[in-house]
Amino acid sequence: MRMIFCIGAMLGILAGCSPPKSDENRVVIWHQMRPDEQNVLQRQLKRYMESKPGVTVVDLYKETETLRSAYIVASIAGQGPDLVHGPSDPIGIYEATRTIQPLENHLNSDFLTDFDSSAILWYRGHLYQIADKIGNHLALLYNKKFLQRPPTTEKELIEVSKIIQDRHGYTAGRPNVYGLSWNYIEPFFFIPFYTGFGGWVLGPDGVTPTLDNPSMVRALGFIRELRDKHKIVPNEADYEIADALFKDEKTAMLINGDWSWAGYLQGGIDLGVAPLPMITETGKWCAPMTSPKGYSLNVNIDEKKIPLVLDVLRFLLSRENQLETARELTTAPTRKSVYREPEIVQNEILKNSLLQIRRGRSMPVVPEMRAVWDAMRPGYQAVMGGALTAEEAAKQMQRLAVRKIREMNE
Amino acid sequence: MNSLLSATEKRFGVGRQQLFIAFLVLPSFVILSGVVFYPFVYNVVLSLGNMNLNRIRDWELIGFRQYVKIFTEPGQPDFYSVFLKTIIWTGVNIVFHVALGVFLALVLNQRLKGKSVFRTVLILPWAIPQYIVALTWRGLFNYEYGAINLIITKYLNLPAVEWLRSPTEAFIACILTNVWLGFPFMMVVALGALQSIPHELYEAADIDGARWHHKLRRITLPLIRPVMVPAITLGVIWTFNNLNIVWLVSNTGEPSDNTHILVSFVFKAAFNFYSFSYASALSMIIFVILLAFTLIFLTKSRATEAAY
Repeated sequence: MRMIFCIGAMLGILAGCSPPKSDENRVVIWHQMRPDEQNVLQRQLKRYMESKPGVTVVDLYKETETLRSAYIVASIAGQGPDLVHGPSDPIGIYEATRTIQPLENHLNSDFLTDFDSSAILWYRGHLYQIADKIGNHLALLYNKKFLQRPPTTEKELIEVSKIIQDRHGYTAGRPNVYGLSWNYIEPFFFIPFYTGFGGWVLGPDGVTPTLDNPSMVRALGFIRELRDKHKIVPNEADYEIADALFKDEKTAMLINGDWSWAGYLQGGIDLGVAPLPMITETGKWCAPMTSPKGYSLNVNIDEKKIPLVLDVLRFLLSRENQLETARELTTAPTRKSVYREPEIVQNEILKNSLLQIRRGRSMPVVPEMRAVWDAMRPGYQAVMGGALTAEEAAKQMQRLAVRKIREMNE
Repeated sequence: MNSLLSATEKRFGVGRQQLFIAFLVLPSFVILSGVVFYPFVYNVVLSLGNMNLNRIRDWELIGFRQYVKIFTEPGQPDFYSVFLKTIIWTGVNIVFHVALGVFLALVLNQRLKGKSVFRTVLILPWAIPQYIVALTWRGLFNYEYGAINLIITKYLNLPAVEWLRSPTEAFIACILTNVWLGFPFMMVVALGALQSIPHELYEAADIDGARWHHKLRRITLPLIRPVMVPAITLGVIWTFNNLNIVWLVSNTGEPSDNTHILVSFVFKAAFNFYSFSYASALSMIIFVILLAFTLIFLTKSRATEAAY
């Protein structure tokens, strides 16, 4: 009897360890949306669930890097969310790891007609992502309390920054209000300077890194000069510091992305958004990388569940929801019909944002881009930390990128 | 059931008692197999393969090439420099954890007013989640707005330190954070050991005219050793493998991947660079290092002999 009880208990424990069955009425979305974006998404999902009793849609936030790696690991293990939402740059990696599935067989052309061409991401012959926002781009944000008209060239930027700093005084040699701030950690924030000096991360073949050239050296030298010679940017700044400085009105201008604008408006900042300035030496605009931000379909979804997942997707991409998102977050929508809405046309921030998108360059989605980011990061940080010269950093970036790509393809 | 047990008894020569024990052990054995043995064996196999971003689903065995690569190809960062940093990281942390922990335990073991309050305050670093601690300290180390530099410049009249921008200072920042985080564990262990030492020994020493340092050397330290040695062993393993602090304080090894210890580099290699086999080989090397350390340390310190 005792033995039977033990075996029974053991089987009970083991039964508890079995994987849970997939719920056909539960859709899971992983994303990297910031809190204000999450609020809009959750409100929309709530409306969806109210209209579809019995269906549950769960959204789960993950930090950008974690989202990508966790999604790949989960998906390879046959798990993961039904929909993954994020910028388009990991699409190449998702495709290489075969963790997402093509959407072209699930969404008919009538549905896709209304979308801007940049919002429908085709890669290697398949539609892998459909965006609800385009841009995901950097622009020059300015606080109208400090300046009414944004600078249009780098010379004006330096000049106006010095005027603002002098006007607000210094404490222990440090300006009470900095002219400009941005994130010195992530090379994504360096790209506009690189493009302004005429550089681009990949060669004409779209896969060979091009990081060691005079444009890179000039761009790296320029940002060092902004800090060490002109002293118009903080000594040290990551995303959080730059963001906090702008919110606390301790920096007049900020380079940040469209995901952040709504937060500043809600925080009471008298916000202006302008395209990044032109580098007079080259006559080129500082061009940020632009990318759609949208949904991809997990390769592991059960066939029977796909119609429900697509229904959620169509709902989230609907005209009404896009308009609501654009209105609340001032991000660029992806449906062409929404662009004609008066509240979009008359919105100054959106107008300038769209101008910045037009001056931007699409972010490459090839997996090699991953190696480029990883190779640029140490050099970018070393230049800002004073550990390397611009020339040394450019050489190091190129060498690392080539090696990482070779290792990736081994 | 009885006939089944009798048959098993006859065939394998084991009694009902042993079978019963085996059935009790079986669930934990199955669970351990799933969460320890299988991942370990899988990791060994993976380290002999070439799984990376492009071969994530169709990887193949390539022998010891990943191990050779780790030891012979200068990487970014280089294995030997990361290994050296890991040794420094572990050594400095453990020395401070033990020294501070034992010192505070000795203080708390005295008759002291408000002892329970001090004890609670000193355990606080241990009670706060590591993520919160790491991110808070990262903020404290900010060059312009961090509290540490404000104290250094304002009250000590010293120049501000570039804590997170320079490789050495960033590494020191990680160590300082982990020292703050790690000493309460050693303090609690040492305090427990101190409280188990019979007072008669100290009374006898007093009668013999022993001074405080004699008592410390001849009574206290030898008697807390059986407890401290396993704690130090654990501390070394935890510190050697402490990903959170380095990862979060230095923001993934910044500046320029110069603050990595082995385990943070393994994480970066696996989940940022997708070099899964390379990361597996590196983690096997970490395993061998820690296994060797544990065996040597436990044997040399004769901790188990003293305990039993």
